[in-house]
Amino acid sequence: MSSTEARPLSVAVDIGGTFTDITLQDSETGLAWTAKTPSTPHDPSIAFLTGVRLALEVAAESASRIGRVLHGTTIATNLILENKGARTALITTAGFRHVLEIGRQDIPRRANLHAWVKPARPVPPSRVFEVVERIGADGAVLTPLDEASVLAAAEACRESGVAAIAVCLLHAFTAPAHEQRVAEMLRAALPGVAITASVDVLPVVREYERSLAAILNAQVMPAVSTYVARLEERLVEAGIAAPLLLMKSNGGVAGAASIRRAPAVTALSGPAAGVVGARAVAEAAGVPNILTVDIGGTSADICLMRGGALQLTQRGSVGDWPLPLPMMDMVTIGAGGGSLARVTREGALAVGPESAGANPGPACYGRGGTRATVTDAHVVLGHLPAALLGGRMALDVAAAAQAVQREVATPLGLGLYEAARGILAVVDSNMVGALRVVSVERGHDPRDFALVPFGGAGPLHGCALAAMLGITRVLVPPAPGVLCAQGLLSADMRAEFSRSILPAQAGDPALIDAAFVALEAEAEAWFAEEGVAPEARSTTPTVLMRYAGQGAELPVPWRGEDAAADFAAAHRALYGFDLPEGRAEIVTLRLEAVGALPPNPVPFLAAGVGARPTGTQTVHFEAGPAEAALFDRASLSSGDCFVGPAIVTQLDATTLVPPGWTAEVLPRGAMLLIGG
Amino acid sequence: MDFHPAAICNPVTLEIVRGAIRAAQAEMEALIERTAMSAFIREKKDFYTALFDAEGVMAVGSNVPVFGDICGPVFAHFPKETMRQGDLYWYNDCYGSKGAVSHSNDQVFLAPVFVDGARVAFVMGWAHFADIGGLRPGSISPDATEIFHEGVIIPPTRLITAGVLNEAALAIFYRNSRYPKLAQGDARALMASVDLGVVRMREIAQRFGAPVLADALRQLLARTLETVRARLMETFAVGTYRFTDRIDGDGHGSGTLRLRFALTRTPEDRFILDATETDDQSPGPVNFLMNRDVPGMALGLYFLGGDPTQVVNAGGPRALDEVLLREGSLLAPRFPAALGMRGLTMMRMLAALNGLVSVAGGEAPAAHAAYVIMLLRGTTGGKPFLMSDGLGVGYGARGFADGIDGVYFVAQENYPIEFLELEYPIRLRHYALHCDSGGPGRWRGGCGIIREYEILAEESILAVRLDGVENPPWGAAGGQSGRPGRVMLNPGTPQERTLRPLSDGNRLVRGDILRIETGGGGGRGHPFDRPAEAVLEDVLGGLVSAPAAARDYGVVVAGRAVDAAATAALRAKRPETRAFHRGSYADVLD
Repeated sequence: MSSTEARPLSVAVDIGGTFTDITLQDSETGLAWTAKTPSTPHDPSIAFLTGVRLALEVAAESASRIGRVLHGTTIATNLILENKGARTALITTAGFRHVLEIGRQDIPRRANLHAWVKPARPVPPSRVFEVVERIGADGAVLTPLDEASVLAAAEACRESGVAAIAVCLLHAFTAPAHEQRVAEMLRAALPGVAITASVDVLPVVREYERSLAAILNAQVMPAVSTYVARLEERLVEAGIAAPLLLMKSNGGVAGAASIRRAPAVTALSGPAAGVVGARAVAEAAGVPNILTVDIGGTSADICLMRGGALQLTQRGSVGDWPLPLPMMDMVTIGAGGGSLARVTREGALAVGPESAGANPGPACYGRGGTRATVTDAHVVLGHLPAALLGGRMALDVAAAAQAVQREVATPLGLGLYEAARGILAVVDSNMVGALRVVSVERGHDPRDFALVPFGGAGPLHGCALAAMLGITRVLVPPAPGVLCAQGLLSADMRAEFSRSILPAQAGDPALIDAAFVALEAEAEAWFAEEGVAPEARSTTPTVLMRYAGQGAELPVPWRGEDAAADFAAAHRALYGFDLPEGRAEIVTLRLEAVGALPPNPVPFLAAGVGARPTGTQTVHFEAGPAEAALFDRASLSSGDCFVGPAIVTQLDATTLVPPGWTAEVLPRGAMLLIGG
Repeated sequence: MDFHPAAICNPVTLEIVRGAIRAAQAEMEALIERTAMSAFIREKKDFYTALFDAEGVMAVGSNVPVFGDICGPVFAHFPKETMRQGDLYWYNDCYGSKGAVSHSNDQVFLAPVFVDGARVAFVMGWAHFADIGGLRPGSISPDATEIFHEGVIIPPTRLITAGVLNEAALAIFYRNSRYPKLAQGDARALMASVDLGVVRMREIAQRFGAPVLADALRQLLARTLETVRARLMETFAVGTYRFTDRIDGDGHGSGTLRLRFALTRTPEDRFILDATETDDQSPGPVNFLMNRDVPGMALGLYFLGGDPTQVVNAGGPRALDEVLLREGSLLAPRFPAALGMRGLTMMRMLAALNGLVSVAGGEAPAAHAAYVIMLLRGTTGGKPFLMSDGLGVGYGARGFADGIDGVYFVAQENYPIEFLELEYPIRLRHYALHCDSGGPGRWRGGCGIIREYEILAEESILAVRLDGVENPPWGAAGGQSGRPGRVMLNPGTPQERTLRPLSDGNRLVRGDILRIETGGGGGRGHPFDRPAEAVLEDVLGGLVSAPAAARDYGVVVAGRAVDAAATAALRAKRPETRAFHRGSYADVLD
């Protein structure tokens, strides 16, 4: 990172299903340029480079001035969700072949025991092989590793034609030597096969979850590796010597080499970039505390940020699988613009989680969809302009009305507008539930926060959600539909280094400090690998604590002796009580490492001449129809103000400003809506 | 006009209210899970929550169909009109609650919710406490012969009166536990969860208004009732349907015990479930004090299926017009018969109800095995310990899928091996699915579990409960019964012996090897109709052995492939099947 002065440009690449969006920014001048090019699904790296060249042309810049290339990829996520990763085997301790198949031995709490089918594991029992070895709970070797059994397992893997192998041995998180030796032998015996040792991905207690993490990592490794290698090649071809940095689930970025080793850390990164972008927008607007809601086609991601701090959780999951890697603490629900509305046989109105998807999409897209979606409800009520994408995509209002009428209004005996409002009320209510989970349930009052809605459908719902929560400020980012570019540009490098602590060590601060010293060394090695300058490095020690006997931990900053008091306070704040008679214990140490990157500030807007509506449109509010002014976001300038009802259109999103709300365009492009 | 639109909950609001209540319930559950102290609750997750209307009728329950009328027993002592904001009620009294709670370890905490002085709802938190005194650590023991052996009994009690805690009651309770700190931690977690539920329900009532909330709860009840009732009508034509299922015994010498159910639909469309022919109660603790609401709750769960918009509630029980029980029978024991091990009888009850549906031609799952528990108590390093481990079993095959392999029950998780070995003086040698235990069928019954422990404690006493050894879970529609489990000590050594599957007082010392194999579920459909590739996958995965594949399925596996010619030859000799199978085929099980 030392040559940033000579190479001040950052380029962020976001590959969507249809278009690849590129943003180029000069960190010295703050100037930014964007470009858009059709995606090339057969080889995404083609559009990647085409787009980068386009952006350089627009900016009249040269490739040699690029200092970093930032990219978020959902390859790992999609491979896991669609179960299309590499054919993978699992190697485990003899006697425990079915741990993966058994899972946690439960029928999920919300499932019906008569109807539930256990999801097929990413590795079937016929591809789980055992090696003879055993480590005890204290880390002692009970049975030495039988290397002949490792060779036999390698042979079985070869016969079953796998491209990836995960290794998860009992208690490896305490004593990793056997696991590391097995991985080493497999690499020697089976060159070209992707090998993942569980401790390299998730070195913590609980064998089922750790096995899964290792498997999911191994499974996506070949495809992610190939993908990243190809991108790197293309960058070299284009004369770009800058490092390729990829978005992780924790809201930070890391270099290609570390992503190749543990691609699973990108599996929950999809929503992270947008939230980091929202943080940058809020910071530029001088708003420290935000609740974000990112509404896409099929789902909504909800997150809370206080003072700009990224909160991590290890309760994530991808599809059916728990994946307890550090990720930004957010809640995802199956509600988005494409969510289908239906009336059940018993007369209940249900919205989502089924979605019309991109094809055929909502009825109003005119691509053959006939079922009513959330977007159709917006169209019926007049929340959307007559055409999207800057006029290129006309909306079929009649088809939307027909769908809402037939699927919801008629079966429930409601009027058309009432039915459309009902659909929105149900999704809004689901989203409010999730907003409450991240705020009220964690001891925060949502009224102390500004709501930042983004994603293509976010700003349509922002004010309604805010009103239901008593929030009076809604901050709409400059480009709400492509906020991840902003996120990539403002992300720092981040990694976490964790270690489980045995009960015997948990009470001794000296031992804890010593363990943190070891984690610091791991972090330093990572910083060095990533080329982070010493002055840009920082680390934060955190301990995960619980009362002896409890099963879940809370993160507490490690300051030495006071951890128990800090923990009790956190427990009270979160759960409403603490246990003075209980014994607080440390379970896991986590060192959060940040390598600061040169900031890319959100650019300023030029001052303008005042907002001028481009027309009006009838919107059917609950209080009755009203004429809403239409504004083109691209023509709005710093300091422009107007009042609702209004609709603000732009290429990537539409904002609905209801009656009673006022809008003001801030100097750096965000639109602040004030209401209530 | 009598019609007040503002007071009535429209379909949109109903969905929103339902979502809000579900969210409140999830939040209560998360709080219990994260803060409870005993492994029983935090790892095994033996806890539930429910929400009731202002009259105490269950509006949103859990997907565990074993709950009876929870509020009634409290009202009998504390009329609801006398309740006040800030009250909390508590009980575990099985007989005093007519089986709403069916063994004493389960503690119920119940609180009324008030808005502007009016009662609008009730909130329940329920959890199994690890030890509440009694004959042996863990409180439930196969040795128990009266409920007084099974720990302290709490009649419906007002634990908090308008915000003032009766500390003496809790102190007495804790003093009766061998692990008072666990009991204390768990009680605090459960009480905090109910507090939270009260706050959330009050917010919901304030947001929508009490009349709308009341109407919403009424509609949720009506919706479930209508659905269950309609499905009952579709399944059962006018007439009487009978099904009998069995448990092996009570561990005190009573042999095979029968649950005999007869479901009658009268020409007037009244549905009457008659269980009076069930065998007499037993001295051992397998008696299941079945609340009259339970069979309807269980049938309701089956009929609601997997639709996530449905909620399990009192609509299920109300779909049955009458439930007839005989006092002194296994399902209606007289006080003070022991109840601690009623879980196995409860599991058979669920299978027998599925049997009734099958007899009527419905596609209910074949029988599942009853989940298995073991309690190991002893001393290690001079300190006492109590380990209660729940072992999964095989569930019954469905008309659309295999039975579930290796699960315990709804919401209850296993202890991870690494957790178990860190916490208790044992080491696991083997944890796997029990090969060949799933009942053969077009759809295979689920496989049971094998769990092999090495004892590291100096001295310990084992209690175990494993049923279905003599009477394995039945198969249906041509499928065969699951294969039974067993409990062995030091297998493969000169000291090998088989332990009684329902027994206590088994002494184990350091170095002993305890192997528990649990039973599989019944299969469904003719085993020869199972695709050979599916059988091969089971063989390669260690769920079915190659000899069993040939014998039960007519599939010959050679190396890692199917021998097509040999398979065709075997499958040409297709055995005849009957409606049910338990050890052998039969048209009717008795």
